[in-house]
Amino acid sequence: MDPHASHGTEHAHAHHELSFIRKYIFSEDHKIIGIQFLFTSIIFLGLGGILALLVRIQLAWPHAEIPFLSEQFRDNGGRMPESFYNMLFTMHASVMIFFVIIPFLTGAFGNFTIPLMIGAPDMAFPKLNMMSYWVLWPAFVLISLSFFVDGGAAASGWTAYPTLSAVAMPAGGGLNSPAAPGSGLGQILWLSSLLCVGVGSMMGSVNYITTIINMRAPGMTLYRMPMTIWAMFITAILQAFALPVLTVALILQLLDKTIGTTFFLPDGLAFGNWSPEVGGGQPLLWQHLFWFYSHPAVYIMILPAMGMVSDIVSTFSRRPLFGYRAMIYSIAGIAGLGFIVWGHHMFQSGMDPRLGTGFMIATMMIALPSAVKVFNWMGTIFRGNLQFTTPMLFALGFVSLFIIGGLSGIFMAATPVDIYIHDTYFIVAHIHYVLFTSSLFGIFAAIYYWFPKMFGRMMNDNLGKVHFTLTFIFGNCTFFPMHMVGVMGLRRRIPDVTAGVLENNTLALNQFMSISALILGTVQLIFLFNFLYSLFFGPKATRNPWNANTLEWTTGDPVPGHGNFDTVPIVHHGPYVYGEFGAKDSCLQTEKGDGTMAAPAH
Amino acid sequence: MSNKGWSVLFGVVMAACFIGFGISPWMGWWMPDGISTHAADVDFLFYVILYITAFFFVLTEALIVLFMWNYAGTGEVKHPVSETAEFPGYLKPLTGILHDQHRIEMAWTFIPAVILLYIAFAQVSAWANIKYESRKKAGQDASQIGGSLQIGVSARQFEWRMRYPSVERFDKWIKNQSDPTAAFDSFGKMPQVDDVYVVNELHIWQHHQVVVYLTTRDVLHSFNLPNFRVKQDALPGKMIPVWFRTLDPAKQKKTKNTKWNEAKKRYIDGINPETGKEDPNYIYDIPCAELCGWGHYRMIGRVYVHENHAEFRDWLEKAQANYLKRTGDR
Repeated sequence: MDPHASHGTEHAHAHHELSFIRKYIFSEDHKIIGIQFLFTSIIFLGLGGILALLVRIQLAWPHAEIPFLSEQFRDNGGRMPESFYNMLFTMHASVMIFFVIIPFLTGAFGNFTIPLMIGAPDMAFPKLNMMSYWVLWPAFVLISLSFFVDGGAAASGWTAYPTLSAVAMPAGGGLNSPAAPGSGLGQILWLSSLLCVGVGSMMGSVNYITTIINMRAPGMTLYRMPMTIWAMFITAILQAFALPVLTVALILQLLDKTIGTTFFLPDGLAFGNWSPEVGGGQPLLWQHLFWFYSHPAVYIMILPAMGMVSDIVSTFSRRPLFGYRAMIYSIAGIAGLGFIVWGHHMFQSGMDPRLGTGFMIATMMIALPSAVKVFNWMGTIFRGNLQFTTPMLFALGFVSLFIIGGLSGIFMAATPVDIYIHDTYFIVAHIHYVLFTSSLFGIFAAIYYWFPKMFGRMMNDNLGKVHFTLTFIFGNCTFFPMHMVGVMGLRRRIPDVTAGVLENNTLALNQFMSISALILGTVQLIFLFNFLYSLFFGPKATRNPWNANTLEWTTGDPVPGHGNFDTVPIVHHGPYVYGEFGAKDSCLQTEKGDGTMAAPAH
Repeated sequence: MSNKGWSVLFGVVMAACFIGFGISPWMGWWMPDGISTHAADVDFLFYVILYITAFFFVLTEALIVLFMWNYAGTGEVKHPVSETAEFPGYLKPLTGILHDQHRIEMAWTFIPAVILLYIAFAQVSAWANIKYESRKKAGQDASQIGGSLQIGVSARQFEWRMRYPSVERFDKWIKNQSDPTAAFDSFGKMPQVDDVYVVNELHIWQHHQVVVYLTTRDVLHSFNLPNFRVKQDALPGKMIPVWFRTLDPAKQKKTKNTKWNEAKKRYIDGINPETGKEDPNYIYDIPCAELCGWGHYRMIGRVYVHENHAEFRDWLEKAQANYLKRTGDR
């Protein structure tokens, strides 16, 4: 069956005037759903950022009163209680990972780009797509609510290792935790919230896989798909295979916390004078299940950004992406190996150290496809005609800072070195280079790049460049010294760096990082202003403002309506035909690229 | 900013990162001196990886900056240099590879693969020596455990509770060192009726093998000796052995850091063995490295390294007397 036949009729329906609610709230249009994800992710980015700044303030001035919140903590002399600090970093990580980076990449950009870039009128399952967003709302409510419950929000790290997270009072003992105040109702809400997020991601991933396999425009063969789509495709497969494991783990821990099962609680525990009567569980089981999902999740959080950056780098270098197939194979390689490296988070966990050796070798090998990708990006800009627009700058920032994150990963992959740096700030430096200066840079690049297609207006390029320059400088000032304090032995997840003898020496560097972080946070207001201002007052965008080749730039209006394309696009060649044709330096995928084409009709 | 200016921004920031890391050892932003035999292995690997990654960092970032400078466009349509154009003279030796996309892909896949495999296999023996050996030492029969000092460490929110043999048992171990089978008993695996408990103080003596039997009674903790390059999570429901040994004072470095303080009536740590004065470089913390609750940050023990077993025995005698005084004679 030709999928476009049925969607032709759907297309006709789309021109009926829909009510505001059907059009913008309970929308089945993938573009609106993508934009919904975009807005909620930006809001949660703000929340996660504020949590991070509170963490940084506490680290730099551990004995000072905490600004804004000191009235809340009069019993503690206005200073932040330790358990509150534990809640801050736990919720910072949880919010940033599950409510910002993943929804940004797969929710916002996966939704927005996939049908447009493969030439489809919408997703394969528009109602499921709508559900995948609205099932997140219980998650938003639960996670926001959890800050206000007795004991506060979850405080056992985003990794939620039992027994700290999982131990519960005996029946009738209430929901408080004997191990930590934040491990009571807050932890239960955290688990429930993540369950909803997982269900939503699962719906999305099924939809993306089906859409990409079944609904490509005529001529859009797999090897003519842009890297963004390849990355989204492989990411969706990763999610589909990894998420069930996390879901199971979350349910098991929820059962441990609520009805007194002991999946993760062994015999013989004792908290103060109180001992649980039953045990028999295994705390290490959680770590295996959790990382079996959460390591692939690391790639879920970077592969789509890599895909989008590949497209952006090629567009603004006015040159074909170097090594297109090598790029695809390396993404597939990262995804495949990504399933057998989870144990590298557990080298010191007490699992059999011989397993560690196996995981170490797999981990070393996963550095290889990442390196190949970097070399190919460099090959793309080599001998190009580089256009330093804001999206290009963020994409180049991604490439150069991903190198730092990639290289620091080799240290912790080496098992003996990991003995020393495990659970230190070296790890914190690594994940922030990969997630902030890489994934989030990719997201910023993508926002600046697709904003005209989303909203029909351009963002201000000069403000964008100021935003980039300051983010690039203060991002490095914030995160690079974390390598040094990590090497000095500063542990993660401690509210007071003056407690230990080695750690005490890191106070000055911590203050430097915190001041940089405060500036970095403030700089993001420039982006927020630019985004909101351009939404209403930005100059009107043309159909293809960047002279890119991919299908989303061929739609009839700058902002396509529901149904996307007036006529089914026919694809003649791959997405990276730049600088090879007569009088112009680009050639849309719908143009016949035989070198004889006249100037494009835009 | 002019188009070339962006490469300058990238160049300056990346150079600042490189210089920042480069000057760290002289700024005191570096690892403490390693004082265990593990440290040599761990630090060697750290430096091998550091030099390799530093080389690739400089290479890749320099090329990115160079390309951004060289190929900065003006914003106008201008044809990039075509695939088949001649390369600049300085690339002559590589022209053969550079012209062939397949060969260049092979080259930059193969070379990093060899380097990564080298790093992978270079570390196997160090890891085995540190971690496999710990397990062996715990499972082995007496003759292989020999005269190592066995200490039970039970972690809990928020302290390390150390379990030492009684003086009588210790004497038996020392006396029977020539006959190791007699030294073996089930002390490591199981608390004994005459054990001596001390909070947050790990006492050992120089260049003598220590086997710690690590347990926890509540949540995860991590037994972390940064100066010794030792780290091992404590897992509820499991006993995990950890071994280490300080450097040989005759050949490598004096690691002793404790002496009797008559005023305080106790052994104090952080004493520089050369000067006999207090020196923070000789304080060996045991900070818990796995989040264990609100008091995680201040769950910090100390290692006391004695001159020899005689001094250790002297401390143990006093500790036992104190312990019995507190708990009542049994």
